[in-house]
Amino acid sequence: MDFAYTAEQEALRREVRQFIKDNVTPEVADETNPETASERPRGTGPAAAALYKRIYERGWLGITYPKAYGGQGGDRLTQYIVEEEFTRAGINITLGGSGAPAIMAAGTEEQKQFYIPRLIKREVSFCLGFTEPHAGADLANLRCSAVRDGDDYVINGQKMYTSAAHMSTHIYLMARTDRNAAKHDGISIFLFPMDTPGITVRPLWTIQNNPTAPAGTTYGNSRTNETFFDDVRIHKSCLLGEENKGWRVGSMGLNLDRVGAARYLISVRRDEDIVNWVKRNKFDGFAPGQNPAIRDKIAEMWIEAQVCRLMTMRSMSIVERGGKFTYEGSAEKVWAPEHGVRISEAITQMLGPYGSLLRTSPHAIEDGVFAHNVMGSFQSGINHGSVQVMRDQVARRGLELPSSRRPKKVEAK
Amino acid sequence: MAKCPVCQGAVDEAAAKAQTGMTPGGAKEVDPTMGTRQFHDGTWYYFDSLDCRNKFTRNPDGYLQGSA
Repeated sequence: MDFAYTAEQEALRREVRQFIKDNVTPEVADETNPETASERPRGTGPAAAALYKRIYERGWLGITYPKAYGGQGGDRLTQYIVEEEFTRAGINITLGGSGAPAIMAAGTEEQKQFYIPRLIKREVSFCLGFTEPHAGADLANLRCSAVRDGDDYVINGQKMYTSAAHMSTHIYLMARTDRNAAKHDGISIFLFPMDTPGITVRPLWTIQNNPTAPAGTTYGNSRTNETFFDDVRIHKSCLLGEENKGWRVGSMGLNLDRVGAARYLISVRRDEDIVNWVKRNKFDGFAPGQNPAIRDKIAEMWIEAQVCRLMTMRSMSIVERGGKFTYEGSAEKVWAPEHGVRISEAITQMLGPYGSLLRTSPHAIEDGVFAHNVMGSFQSGINHGSVQVMRDQVARRGLELPSSRRPKKVEAK
Repeated sequence: MAKCPVCQGAVDEAAAKAQTGMTPGGAKEVDPTMGTRQFHDGTWYYFDSLDCRNKFTRNPDGYLQGSA
């Protein structure tokens, strides 16, 4: 067992770091940061667009996707190394969620040929239309309907927390196609453009918007959305996978999207930020690193971060070898966000009262980035599958514990 | 003009659905201060605020039957 990187992989890391040093200007970093770019869709500013074109030309977008679909046919560790470096620089080079892996797994040849190259070139982007206001943490409670009408489906209903709806070209929507089936059956997935008539986007502003989080904040978004569908008519070719089998496709896509660096890195970056800050700064002439309690806490958090890293490596290894991947992504999705909360809270404790000041305070440290991270960190434990749901998946799929049973109704005597 | 099932306030459905902008992807955007709505049992219900909508979501039958 060798955990070291090869000489080629180390050379790639140096190459990416040099590229970032040469190309990621302050203007680009501001445009690509989801918090500071709240009034301008992420990655669509001219500097960011030019940067992504250069990254694409270097072959660093869609590394693990087949060459036939515009990818590089590369391995996941190469993707991980590149993604790790860009994430540290605040540049998101992922393909934006579970749409791409689901299309590769369940899409028709036409869907793969259309979507995958465009996702890699960032000409197409998906928002995720899964959550609904009344459904709670159980996605299978969804009610948004898609009714077959000739060669079309007609969609009516609404979605909640469609975070990228205001900046995406397409939606990856889960809707109910059979009202009489059991709740996990009768669900289908559709892919279609956001300019289809009948789609309405209503902004929801989050805690991160007042004041807007500064550059360098790695959790949460300033804006999410409600999305409404009024008689939205789409062609049957928008269906992904089989009709009424969407639950399986959606779950698989979500699980595969959890493999990789991004979810682990947003937490680990916090560890790196505080270590660097403690090394560089002093409180009233006193270096924080001289405080044994601070050293102890930083070491504890660093060890937790290594657990994130090793879990990610294991997931990538399983998927790379074509192994059975069922609960491992769920375990990562518990550990990484909860570590993110712990490290964010620990940092504010280390910084004392200054650690809670947002960017509007003249006394805020690092423009308030650490305080903003505390607020945003809680989102990552909820979105994309709450940690409670993830733990349930680990228990059932990983440890083979039985599913919950509803208690029998107690009849009044 | 609709009536909010929670606070009984007036909600202008047309204003809640009126286009105020367009996303770069081409979807219609609306003014969030004009209210929101929820699709429940095949009908759209209108609310003057997200707060009211959230209350309704927790107990829709109670609000529709006037027992909430």
